[in-house]
Amino acid sequence: MPEETILNDDFLRELMNVGEVDLLVGVPTYNDARTVGQVVQAIRSGLLKYFPRQRAAIINADGGSKDNTQELVRAASISDMHHADNLYALRTLHCISTRYTGTPSSGTALHTIMAASDLLRANACAVISPDSTSITPEWIQTLLQPVVNDVNDWVTPVYRRHKFEGLLIRNLLYPMNRAVYSSRVREPYPTDFAFSGRFASHVAGLDTWSEEAARVGAEMYLTIAAITGKFRIVQTYLGPKSRGEGAPADLVAAMRRSVGTLFWSLDSTFNIWSADLDPEPVVTIGPEHELDPEPLRFNRKRLHDMFARGVGELEPVLRSILSHSTLCQVQQVASSPEGELGYTDELWAHTVYEFAAAYHKSVISRDHIVQALAPLYRGRTYTFLAENRDNSPEALESNVEALCLAFERSKPYLLEMWNGRK
Amino acid sequence: MPLPQDALWYKDAVVYQVHVRAFYDSNADGRGDFRGLAQKLDYLQDLGINTIWLMPFFPSPLRDDGYDIADYHSVHPSYGVLEDFKAFLDGAHQRGIRVIIEMVLNHTSDQHPWFQESRSSHDNPKRDWYVWSDTDTRYRGTRIIFLDTELSNWAWDPVSKQYYWHRFFSHQPDLNYDNPAVRETMWGVMKFWLDMGVDGFRLDAVPYLVEREGTNCENLPETHVIIQDFRRRLDEEYPGRMLLAEANQWPADLRPYFGGGNEFHMAFHFPLMPRMFMGLKLEDRKPITEILQQTPAIPENCQWCLFLRNHDELTLEMVTDIERDYMYDEYAKDRSMRLNLGIRRRLAPLLDNDRRRIELMNGMLMSLPGTPIVYYGDEIGMGDNVNLGDRNGVRTPMQWDGGWNGGFSTADPESLYSPLMLNPVYGYQAVNVQSQKRFDHSLLSWMKRLIRIRKSLAVFGRGSIEFLYPANHRVLAYVRQYGKDAILVVNNLSSSAQAVELDLRHYKGNILIEMFGRNIFPRIGDLPYLLTLGPYQFYWFRLRKI
Amino acid sequence: MWERFFSEMTKETLEILRSVAQFLPRLMITLIIVLIGWVIAYVLRYLLRSILRLAKFDRLSEDAGASQFLKKAALPSTTELLSRFVFWVAWIGFILIGVSVLGIVGLQEHIGRFFGFLPRLFAALFVFFFGLLAASFFSRAALLASVNADLPSPRLIAATVRTVIVIFSVSVGFEELGIGEHTILVAFTIVFGALMLGLALAFGLGGRDLARRYLERRFMHEHKEEREDELSPL
Repeated sequence: MPEETILNDDFLRELMNVGEVDLLVGVPTYNDARTVGQVVQAIRSGLLKYFPRQRAAIINADGGSKDNTQELVRAASISDMHHADNLYALRTLHCISTRYTGTPSSGTALHTIMAASDLLRANACAVISPDSTSITPEWIQTLLQPVVNDVNDWVTPVYRRHKFEGLLIRNLLYPMNRAVYSSRVREPYPTDFAFSGRFASHVAGLDTWSEEAARVGAEMYLTIAAITGKFRIVQTYLGPKSRGEGAPADLVAAMRRSVGTLFWSLDSTFNIWSADLDPEPVVTIGPEHELDPEPLRFNRKRLHDMFARGVGELEPVLRSILSHSTLCQVQQVASSPEGELGYTDELWAHTVYEFAAAYHKSVISRDHIVQALAPLYRGRTYTFLAENRDNSPEALESNVEALCLAFERSKPYLLEMWNGRK
Repeated sequence: MPLPQDALWYKDAVVYQVHVRAFYDSNADGRGDFRGLAQKLDYLQDLGINTIWLMPFFPSPLRDDGYDIADYHSVHPSYGVLEDFKAFLDGAHQRGIRVIIEMVLNHTSDQHPWFQESRSSHDNPKRDWYVWSDTDTRYRGTRIIFLDTELSNWAWDPVSKQYYWHRFFSHQPDLNYDNPAVRETMWGVMKFWLDMGVDGFRLDAVPYLVEREGTNCENLPETHVIIQDFRRRLDEEYPGRMLLAEANQWPADLRPYFGGGNEFHMAFHFPLMPRMFMGLKLEDRKPITEILQQTPAIPENCQWCLFLRNHDELTLEMVTDIERDYMYDEYAKDRSMRLNLGIRRRLAPLLDNDRRRIELMNGMLMSLPGTPIVYYGDEIGMGDNVNLGDRNGVRTPMQWDGGWNGGFSTADPESLYSPLMLNPVYGYQAVNVQSQKRFDHSLLSWMKRLIRIRKSLAVFGRGSIEFLYPANHRVLAYVRQYGKDAILVVNNLSSSAQAVELDLRHYKGNILIEMFGRNIFPRIGDLPYLLTLGPYQFYWFRLRKI
Repeated sequence: MWERFFSEMTKETLEILRSVAQFLPRLMITLIIVLIGWVIAYVLRYLLRSILRLAKFDRLSEDAGASQFLKKAALPSTTELLSRFVFWVAWIGFILIGVSVLGIVGLQEHIGRFFGFLPRLFAALFVFFFGLLAASFFSRAALLASVNADLPSPRLIAATVRTVIVIFSVSVGFEELGIGEHTILVAFTIVFGALMLGLALAFGLGGRDLARRYLERRFMHEHKEEREDELSPL
């Protein structure tokens, strides 16, 4: 039983007091005192406004914050002891907080939340990132309603984004996830999502939580678990996603969490994705995707330099990962002058697949493989930004679609690489 | 024959609310009467109650269930004569039971001779006993109470060609309390009954006595002056008698009616009752503790009156819209169960005839601070008949046995004032006093035990209350304390077993004695006191330092 | 006189014959031990080769960079090398045991020393091999980190890391062997010291500007502005 190890006694006692609930909202935190108060307030108003009759609880899984995060969450409880005049709730709303053991990681936090959800027999559970400062009470309804009313198991968000936000998702995670698993989930790495009690018990019982990749990239892992477990998935439009200052600007860390986990998942799900899958459309509630046409400032020259120099410097490493022909092509692209750099969809798909295969075979340290992809991703990003610099959101979307098709076309290539000697 | 004087007797009272018409018919006319009621006093004594509250029994056209009084000095002929009432009163007093009667001060029936005189001409001496006006535009800020039936608080009198003021039905004209003669006369009416030996009055519709332009004509200072005057005279001339206010208001708005202990002795706690039902359904103590937290402190000689159900609908005026919708959905899914802003059902059907929930609710009624009122029939778990109009569904005849007319009357069943309950669950053959008397585990026997325990300690009626807030919100726990006596009450509001840790450090060293079985529970130590409770279970513990 | 000669002759011949008769069985035993030793060593080589192949040892050594090194020296693969090495060590061990049976005075001591030396040899080889492995891993890690952090000359950094670790492991290995420990230690100290001095000078003189910029960024909160061109990837 994984619960035995993940839920400590104090937390268990608090859960006993909460008792069975209908809805549960989890907030994984680590030193988020600056924003967590606002987020928890919004969650609370959302629950009171849209689910006044349901038994609900807010659970905070904290990685050992030193900045009062836990106290801030607890203070949001609605109990009969601390009566607040400005809101009227039918029920007690517990806000409990636990410090999970181990190093701070979203995986352990989510595992804790899921185990709690399983124990409390929550019918629906949502997870909200503490830095989602653009949250409105409606989010709670938008996320939980599809589970509560329409028995969906996995609700993933669709955000309104800036044109050049979420590039890793658009250039790698979405196309590859879609090609490999045949599921068109727009945000395979969501930070705000919801799931059913059924899904929580399924996932809480998995023993893969002990693995590094599941801990580090739990959000990605859950999405894949929902897809491969044949759970009912729905996307729902949440509106603008705050460009949180705490967002991972560290590309390598972000890649470890997302790409690393995606690569890692391929090992255990080979039987599923290697078979011919029927493409499964995912229902979306609200706008499919919405882009803010206003472009962001970015430093193209730096991207180009980092790509070109990275390919040069990493040549011995790349040699052990990529096939000879792909490496040559990449080197060719890297050597072209700034204005003409063109990292094509086809080449990019091959590159990513070869990396995935190399990851599978552990030709070198798996972490190094993921790190080595970062400079190449910069090159791809450069191309993508250059191509879509003046494009309308629609044109940009059609380019993303083209990339997806390239990934889908190259899937046999992935299988070939997977089983091949190199 | 008045009972021994104890100025605070109402604090220890357990009140039984009964309508004389519905209790027992001694003369086979299909309606209960005072002789019948007197015959059943032994039953009430056996039940353990010590106060009877009688619904209006005055001569009346009965267009508002007797609240439209046509003669304040007599008894409605179908209930007997004044002598019958006196005999009943004496019988009650002999058994140590006090009697509270209804007193409708605000208005009379339009059949009352006073109104007949008043409307007869503009210069009649009693013209000024009622509120007359040439226009129907005065006191515009006043709400209309019976929205379903009345369009205005003014009604046109075709006889005297003026409008008269009425807060309730148009056949209930309001008396004019600005007229000293009215005040004197009404005090005279009260004296009449007090002289006969009545122990207290439930004063109906008190917030509406006086009207003033530019106000909502409720709770006016002038009204308080009149009540204070009545109270002063009562204390001087009839010490030990009691005034109970009927005012469906928020506790904070009701507080002025206690004054400085110089207005009412008691008042109903209206908002608590729906919240007890709500807390039970939500399996959450929050509604209950919250409303009691908001309840202001009242003077030492005053007391709240608590009830689960009464002759009216379960009123949902004192709840928010969210709460009202919730209550309707949970307790009155069938729209025919709803009336005005409330639910017209009895206790047992409201609680799905679940014995455990009925016991829990009665347990809370008897242990929360206040004087409990038991509505007739609820002690045996009688049902209701929503097919009868208005609130008549909860006013069906008392079910005494499984025989003819349920033992209520020997008249033809067709001639009863109301049809009996006949269905297999709540019908008189299934639910009646006689069958329940025979078994120790019946609801009636259990109620007797509950009342006996409640009366065994003054702390229930007079003690302070301190809520414990265990983290388990499904458990409502409180300590009542009076002098050296302390009792701990723990209620499980949920339908499943619960564990609860109580912080009783304050009472460290006490042992707990469960009051129903007198079993000893472990001594309170430094650690949180752990209790487990079955579904809807409750404990009453006496704390004793031995 | 002849008599005496013959008797002496016969005596000596008998003596020789006797010692030969005494020596021959020992020689036979020695030969048998050597033969059995060869068989055991052969089996050991076979077993080790299979185990290493199963464990994909070649890939590990490739990771460590040992294979490339061997290829350059036109030597067989690590697996082959290691199994041959074990074969020879085992056989030589048996040969020595066999020789010791011959009971040649003075040889015993040397053989004992040889066996006493064996564990240290293995330990040294072990340290050396994993040193190479670690050097390769950490140099690659340094290379990737510096490329992704956009640091100047990532290869130089990687090579430095590799050299330091290799020298360190070689010095530890030799220390284990007890060969020229002082010399190696001194050499390592000199190399390491020189490296640090070089780096210090490089940063002190050449990297003055860089260091200043870095410190400014760090403490003047300028880095936020710099970062704005990094788009949030997720």
